[in-house]
Amino acid sequence: MTTDRISLMGIFSSEEQVASAIRGLRQSPYQLERVHSPIPSHIIADALQLPKSKVGWFTLAGGITGFLTGFLFAAFTATRWSLIVSGKPVVALVPFFIVGFEFTILFAVFGNVLGIISQARLPRFKVSQDYQSTFSGNRFGVLASCLPDEKIGLSDFFKTEGAQIKPSDANGADGRASGS
Amino acid sequence: MTALTYEKIDDAVINTLSPPGKGYWVTIGLLFLGILMGAGCWLYQILLGIGVAGQNNPVHWGTYLINFVFWVGIAHSGTLISAILHLFRAGWRNPIARAAETMTVFAVCTAGLYPFIHLGRVWMVFYMLPFPNQRFLWPNFQSPLMFDVVAISTYLTVSSLFWYTGMLPDLAIIRDRAQGVRRRIFSVLAMGWTGEFEQWRHYARGYLFFAALATPLVISVHSVVSWDFALGVVPGWHTTIFAPYFVAGAIHSGLAMVVTLMIPLRKIFNLQEIITMKVLEQVAKTIVFTGLIVGFAYSTEVFIAWYSHNSVEMETFRWRAFGDYALEYWIMVVCNTVFPLFFLFKKVRTRILWLMVICILVNVGMWYERFVIIIGSVAHDFLPYAWGLYRPTLVEFGIMIGSFCLFFFLFLLFVKHMPSVSMTEMKETVHAGGAHDH
Repeated sequence: MTTDRISLMGIFSSEEQVASAIRGLRQSPYQLERVHSPIPSHIIADALQLPKSKVGWFTLAGGITGFLTGFLFAAFTATRWSLIVSGKPVVALVPFFIVGFEFTILFAVFGNVLGIISQARLPRFKVSQDYQSTFSGNRFGVLASCLPDEKIGLSDFFKTEGAQIKPSDANGADGRASGS
Repeated sequence: MTALTYEKIDDAVINTLSPPGKGYWVTIGLLFLGILMGAGCWLYQILLGIGVAGQNNPVHWGTYLINFVFWVGIAHSGTLISAILHLFRAGWRNPIARAAETMTVFAVCTAGLYPFIHLGRVWMVFYMLPFPNQRFLWPNFQSPLMFDVVAISTYLTVSSLFWYTGMLPDLAIIRDRAQGVRRRIFSVLAMGWTGEFEQWRHYARGYLFFAALATPLVISVHSVVSWDFALGVVPGWHTTIFAPYFVAGAIHSGLAMVVTLMIPLRKIFNLQEIITMKVLEQVAKTIVFTGLIVGFAYSTEVFIAWYSHNSVEMETFRWRAFGDYALEYWIMVVCNTVFPLFFLFKKVRTRILWLMVICILVNVGMWYERFVIIIGSVAHDFLPYAWGLYRPTLVEFGIMIGSFCLFFFLFLLFVKHMPSVSMTEMKETVHAGGAHDH
C-alpha cells in the first residue's frame, strides 16, 4: 500500500552532525530510514540507540557445535577399532579436547560469518539508488522520510543541521517512497 | 598523523593500485621463475624419491620441517597485530594490520606445502585426512601430528575469513571509485557493502568476535606445532616450556618479517604518512620484548638441562653450543636475543637501515632456531652409535628458495591489486569517535 511518503538524503561531513541530526529527527514528525557511514562510529551508534547485534548467538552456537563435533568425531574414530596407542585410553580426554578446541574455533568462526552475512543482509548485488559513492569515502548519509507536504520542512531541518540535500530517487524521480 | 584526512587516506591507498611499472613485472617474473625452480625440484624429488633430500639416519626431519615451522611462525604476528593488538586497542597497529594479515595468509599457505613435500610420496597425504582406510581404520587423533593437521587447517581457514571480512568496507571504497570491469569485480567482492549503520552494527560485533576467537587460536596453533616435538621423548624436545617458547619465537620472527615487508612497501608506494616511523618504532619495541622472552626461553632450556642432572639432556645442550652445529647455535642466540636489544636505543629503532638490517638478522636467527631445535636434537640423541650429521642438498635448497619466492610473489600480487592498508581502520585512527568494537 502506498503512503506517498517522500525520502530525502542529507549528506553530512562529520559524525557529530549526523548524531545531532539523528537526535533531532527523533523529536520531529519525520521518520529516520537509515544512516550511511564510512566508519563504525561510536557517536552515531549512541545516537541511533540500536540494540546489541545478535551475531554473538550465531558465534556461540557455532562454537558449541564445533566442540561437540570435534570431540565426538575423535572419539568415534578411536572406537572404530579401539586400538590402545601408547597406553592411553581409547577415548582419551586430553588429546581429544585439543581436537575439540580447534573445531570450536573453526565452527564459531563459521557461525560468526553466517551471523554477519545473515544479520547485515549480505550479499546485496543491487545497491540502492539513494546510495552515493562518497558514503564509503568521506561523507555520511542520513535518509529520512516525510509526508509530501512536510518536504520543505525536512529539507530545512537537514540544512539547519549542516547537510547538503539529495532527493531520493529510489521510488521515482520525485523522491516518493513506498511503505505499508 | 593529524594531517591525515579521509580523502588523503583513500587517495594514498588507491594510488597503490595504479597500473604497475616495468620493474614490478620484472620482479614478479623473477619470483615466478624461482617458484618454477622450486616446483621443478619438488617434481624431481617425487620422480626419484625422498632420497634426493639430505634426510637420512638419524636425521629424518630436515629443512622441510624447519621451513614448515618457520613459515607457521611468520604467520603468527599477522594475527597478533590484527587480533590481539585490536583487543588491546593499540591504535598503532591499524596502518600495518592489513599487510600483516596478508602475510599471515600467504605464510600459512607456504607452510602448508611443506608437510606434503616432506611426505616424499605426496599421494600418501590420504593418511592425514580424516577418512578411514580400506580396513576402516581412521587417523589417530591422539597424535600431535593429527592435532597439527586440524590446527593448521583451522588457522588457514580462520585467518583467510578474518582477512576477507576485514577487507569488505575497503573493497566497497575501491568499487565506488572504479569504472568498467574493475568496478564489476569489486562490486562482487564487496558483496554490496554500503556502510549502512545496520551493516556496521553487525559487522563491528562480528569483527570483535573474530579477534576474540583468533587470539586463543594463534596461541594454540604454535603450541600444537611445538607439541610435534615436545610429545616425543627426544632430548632437547621433551620439555614443557616448548609451547610458550614457540609462540614467543613465532611472534618474534613474524614481527621482524612485518618490518622487513613494511619498509619497502611504504617506500615504493609513498605510504610514509600512513605507515609512519612511529609505527615501525612500536613494532621494534615489541621485538625487544619478544626477543627477551625468547632469550629467557633459551636460558631456561640450558638451566633445566643442568638442573635435571639428566646426562643425555646435559650432553644435548653442551653439544648444541660447542658441537658440530655450534655456529648455527650462536647465530641463533646472537640474532634473536642480542641484536634486537639494539632497538632499546632510539637512534637505532628510528633509522630505516638499522631497522631493516636487524629485522633481517632476526629472521635469519629464527630460521636457525628451528634448525638447531630440529636437527640438533635428532642428530645427537640417546645412543652415541646412532649420532650423525645433516646437511641440506641442492634439491632442498631449491625447494626452500622456491617457497620464499612463492611467498613474496603472492604478497607482491596482493599489494598491487588489493588495498594493502586498511582505509577504514586508518579513518578510525584519525577520528576520535571511531572504533571497531561497539
